Amino acid sequence: MDAPTCFRQQLLATIPRLRRYARSLVFDPSQADDLVQTTLERALAHWHQFDQRRDILVWTLSIAHNAFMDERRREKRTVVSDPQDLRDADELQAPAADIGLRLDLVAALAQLSIEQREPLLLVTLEQLSYAECAEVLRIPIGTVMSRISRARSTLRELLDGRRPPSASSRGLRRVV
Amino acid sequence: MTAPAPIDTDLLHAWLDDELPADQRAEVEAWLRDHPEDAARVRLWSADAQALRAHLEPVLAEPVPQRLSQIAWSRAPDTVSNGWRRWAAAALVFVLGGSAGAALTWRLQTLRAPASAAAPGEEGWVRRAAVAHAVYVPEVRHAVEVKAQEEHLSRWLTRRVNVPVKLFDLRAQGFELVGGRLLPDAKGPSAQLMYQAIVPAGASAADTKPVRVTVYLHKPDDDTPAAFRYEQQGTLGMFYWVEGKSEQGGPCGYALVGELPRERLLAMAEAIFRQGDSVPR
Repeated sequence: MDAPTCFRQQLLATIPRLRRYARSLVFDPSQADDLVQTTLERALAHWHQFDQRRDILVWTLSIAHNAFMDERRREKRTVVSDPQDLRDADELQAPAADIGLRLDLVAALAQLSIEQREPLLLVTLEQLSYAECAEVLRIPIGTVMSRISRARSTLRELLDGRRPPSASSRGLRRVV
Repeated sequence: MTAPAPIDTDLLHAWLDDELPADQRAEVEAWLRDHPEDAARVRLWSADAQALRAHLEPVLAEPVPQRLSQIAWSRAPDTVSNGWRRWAAAALVFVLGGSAGAALTWRLQTLRAPASAAAPGEEGWVRRAAVAHAVYVPEVRHAVEVKAQEEHLSRWLTRRVNVPVKLFDLRAQGFELVGGRLLPDAKGPSAQLMYQAIVPAGASAADTKPVRVTVYLHKPDDDTPAAFRYEQQGTLGMFYWVEGKSEQGGPCGYALVGELPRERLLAMAEAIFRQGDSVPR
């Protein structure tokens, strides 16, 4: 059976939230939408696995997480690029207002390891509970708790200038 | 009064994220009152979270790119056949044949194309549940084979269908059991329980058509549990799932069919699931 209309409507309704989450993971708008595209395709292909008692956003976020991790694994195997190209490609998108502060925040966010960044984003940005976050990332709740704790502390240290950005730093300079 | 135990940093974060039970929350709040430096840290984390949300909030308001919304309407890969409703409607016409005649013509008009050899796949029993619903719900005098009042109903269906047939109590959801019947399915008998909306005392039941839902139970081909699924076409909705083998017996496939809003059907499906006793997954 093909996916029923009501499932498609539910899926459609998750797109804005998926786009926001993807943007906070990969920063570049068009790459972020690529991730959303992969997520939607996978969700549609596996629509029959969705338990209607669950929250479809939590379900699709977990698909987005898996797609993102797959993408990273693929990149690790294949990346052979000019570092300069990479830096240009990674240039962070500057929002219209309050450039100094916000760029710092996003740049600091980009410094966090993915293991710390995802729980922090899911809880503070997507406002999931620790239990839902654990479900999305398939890690124990205790791990969610400690990773969020470390992520917030690290983010603060970076923003306060108490922690030097790592060598692979991208976009951390002020653009004011 | 003794000094409270030092508060772990993880707890401060959990407090900020509103993840603590009341007693722990009170403990952390007391700690924060006495430790302004920790309170300042928590305020900074909170400000960071707000800045993060403010930064990404505009993404929500952006128009969804067409290439994304199109996917939601594209054909799901690796699937075959049309929706069960169309199949059910076609089967209904076939079952009732000429006798229903003109009265059913409008149903035919809802069929966009003949269901192209809709081979009954794994969901065949779900379609049969929809057909059984459509056939028996309009019945006035012979809606059920055995009435709810007869105590052998459950034993009889359990024995014949070979799955534990419980007479689910849906009165909390506003429905009472009318009775049940035995039906032929592809690989043996299945059961249909019919429920009817309880008419409030004083209201005349004679004039209005009763609102009915049916529960279809069948023994699945294998005992793989399957998640709750929902489908809807027009006003007819359906929840179906498969519960795995348990001490009570099983496995058992359930399909709840009715012309009701999804939330009301879900409440009933969950009541049935809870009363079924067997633990899924």
